[in-house]
Amino acid sequence: MNIYTVAILALAVSLPSVAQVKFEDILRGPGDNWLTVAGDYRGLRHSPLTQITTANAGSLVPKWVYHVPKANGLRTNPIVHAGVMYITGSNEIRALDARTGRLIWEYKDARSKKDAVNRGAAILGDRVFFVTADVHLTALDRRTGAVLWQKQYGRIEDGLFASAAPLAVKDRLIVGVAGGDTGMRGYVSALSADDGHEIWRLYTVPAKGEPGSETWGKYIEYGGAGTWLSGTYDPDTNTLFWCTGNAWPDFYAGDRPGDNLYASSVLAIDADTGKRKWHFQFTPRDTHDWDAQSWPVLLEVPWQGKPRKVVLHANRNGFFYMLDRATGKYLRSTRLVEKLDWASGIDAKGRPIVVPGKDPTPTGNRTCPGVRGATNWMSPSYNPATGLFYVVTLEQCDIFTSSAKKPEPNKNFSGGGASTKPNEIGQFFLRAFDPKTGGKVWEYPMTGPGESWAGTLSTAGGVIFFGDDDGHLVGVDAKTGQHLWHFQMGEGLNTSPISYAVDGKQYVAIASATAIFSFGLHEPVKPVALPATR
Amino acid sequence: MLSIRVLVALACCTLPLAAQHEAGADGRSKHPAMGDAKAIAAGQKLYATSCTGCHGATAEGGRGPNLRQRGMWHPLDDDALFGTIKRGVPGADMPGLNLPDEQVWQIAAFVRSLTAPAIDTHVPGDTAAGESVFWGKAKCGSCHAVRGKGGTFGPDLGNVASMKAAEDIRAAIVDPTGDGFGRYRGVTVKLKSGRSLKGLARNHNNYSIQVQQPDGNLELLHMGDVEVLVFSKTSLMPGDFRERLTKEELDNLVAYLSRQSVRTAVK
Repeated sequence: MNIYTVAILALAVSLPSVAQVKFEDILRGPGDNWLTVAGDYRGLRHSPLTQITTANAGSLVPKWVYHVPKANGLRTNPIVHAGVMYITGSNEIRALDARTGRLIWEYKDARSKKDAVNRGAAILGDRVFFVTADVHLTALDRRTGAVLWQKQYGRIEDGLFASAAPLAVKDRLIVGVAGGDTGMRGYVSALSADDGHEIWRLYTVPAKGEPGSETWGKYIEYGGAGTWLSGTYDPDTNTLFWCTGNAWPDFYAGDRPGDNLYASSVLAIDADTGKRKWHFQFTPRDTHDWDAQSWPVLLEVPWQGKPRKVVLHANRNGFFYMLDRATGKYLRSTRLVEKLDWASGIDAKGRPIVVPGKDPTPTGNRTCPGVRGATNWMSPSYNPATGLFYVVTLEQCDIFTSSAKKPEPNKNFSGGGASTKPNEIGQFFLRAFDPKTGGKVWEYPMTGPGESWAGTLSTAGGVIFFGDDDGHLVGVDAKTGQHLWHFQMGEGLNTSPISYAVDGKQYVAIASATAIFSFGLHEPVKPVALPATR
Repeated sequence: MLSIRVLVALACCTLPLAAQHEAGADGRSKHPAMGDAKAIAAGQKLYATSCTGCHGATAEGGRGPNLRQRGMWHPLDDDALFGTIKRGVPGADMPGLNLPDEQVWQIAAFVRSLTAPAIDTHVPGDTAAGESVFWGKAKCGSCHAVRGKGGTFGPDLGNVASMKAAEDIRAAIVDPTGDGFGRYRGVTVKLKSGRSLKGLARNHNNYSIQVQQPDGNLELLHMGDVEVLVFSKTSLMPGDFRERLTKEELDNLVAYLSRQSVRTAVK
């Protein structure tokens, strides 16, 4: 009997529960691990690691690169647990050694009926989870990549697809659906982490006859309000905060004359029951494709002399909102961008004061912000030491056109479109806002083609990392915005950095369009003696 | 150059055929014989009389290429495969078969089935009996998992039928070392600290090694910490299942595994 036979015999059929990822581990927030897309439940994207500082960030070097086979336009936000990084692509997931970038296992679902970008994985217990483009939640053993089950929670025939990272909360995975630009009915679902069965589903567009249905018109069944990004979670009140996408057709509202609830909104949802606690709509009757994506950040902010639990949201429509977390009551908004002409402000109840004549027209109507929005899915972050909120913003206007053609769902019809004048390409800025006032504290202007989709990471070392519009990963001083370090990634960036540590060494990682890069402080490589190998 | 001439010749002779049958899911034409169990069985008989001389009794190759190695001919679509069988390969030893089109399609269906994922093919055998062999007599579940049940030391088999052809599954059972065992090599690692561990080398190079231990957990090691590596020279899987199992048990086991797919068969 050789040693392997002994090892095999020692193996129980059911694996012991070693170093499982518990709900409490996610509650604690990031440290060496980075367990959710945002790192934590509150959406702060703040790493407490302090090895990389403003003093030494200048000596960051790439530690490894993993080129994802056949990848293009990666949107994955890595998660890291116990030195293993999990990355996703269209219908695929991989585990990498987070110190070296070496592949440990991979799983590809070649039979998915659709291809789409994928924004990342979730981890809970001994399982990792991701969604396939054709709306199946897949569970795998995090150590071996063995597939445990796959559960369908939506149909591509209904205009749906899936791309968001699931959010693991207690015993369930919170998932969403995409497809709101071609006509579908959005929803948020809670699926069992055990077997994927649906525990609850909350539609983001009411059915005919339900309260809120009066805010629509004849295409209510295809109203949209997709849920294509992950949300955040407040464990104190067991509440999920999930944002919704645009109403459909995106650019023509002639057939949907009301507010179109609950599109372009944030929903507060009871995590146990899926019941809506409150909603706040940022852009009623949206005609500019201004999804309310970019996730709701949960903070406690001094307000009128007292600490107030709030939701902060940097919205595509150009405003930076603060809402009461318990009630959804509008507290304040300020401007994210200067180029903002569709509304003159926000009234006391939180409703935009719309400037007449800014809807898209058949011949084109110039409006600011542009169709990409003042910000988008690029992740904002918050640094507790500086007390600042960091968000990538775009100063741009677009020409919006409308089409009154009869809407046809699932036919790539969005009621018009938007284009940018070649002589009016937008400019990106990383901006730091003070949540206490909503005011801008500093900004870091970028150069580039106006095509970035990369967000931010805050670190306790006082460095803010973000992807710029020229394909650099950049580090700036969290207090001042002063440049500290940059690295040219060789291609455009569509996702946001994370930070983690293995063996006492801090790393900063981000996906480029085709690869995963991980950076750390420079240290001379020690010669490695080849081991005796037999 | 030869291959280009062959492709051009194939394209010339097969293009007119494309319009004669329905389009498949991928837009390419699909003849009703392709994937049809009866046609495949008929094609197997025709193959035995017309093709084995050069391609081998089990399509393992000989004077002609191995037809189980997908890379050899997989770029050929159904029409091109039909054309190759019907008309041969000009300039090469492959002759055309003087058979009616229907029979040529049956042979094409059989050849295609050799590399089709098992879940898309009809695999004879008793799947329930095969399941009993898997968890019982053959003890496959000690090392392999299906949908979370079973061991972690061997490759997960919960999706094997959508990744391998039935005959490749059979080959992997009876000759696991020949199947290759890339990320499942046994290794004993002696560290400079004096500690030793053993498990599977999921990946290794001159600078790092990732070892999966018997409890399923991973050890991520720097090679600078390693003194000695001892790799298994053969697969950890026993190589005597041809002796341990009856032919019927083996057939049933292959039939069971040929249904293990996350996704259902392509219609």
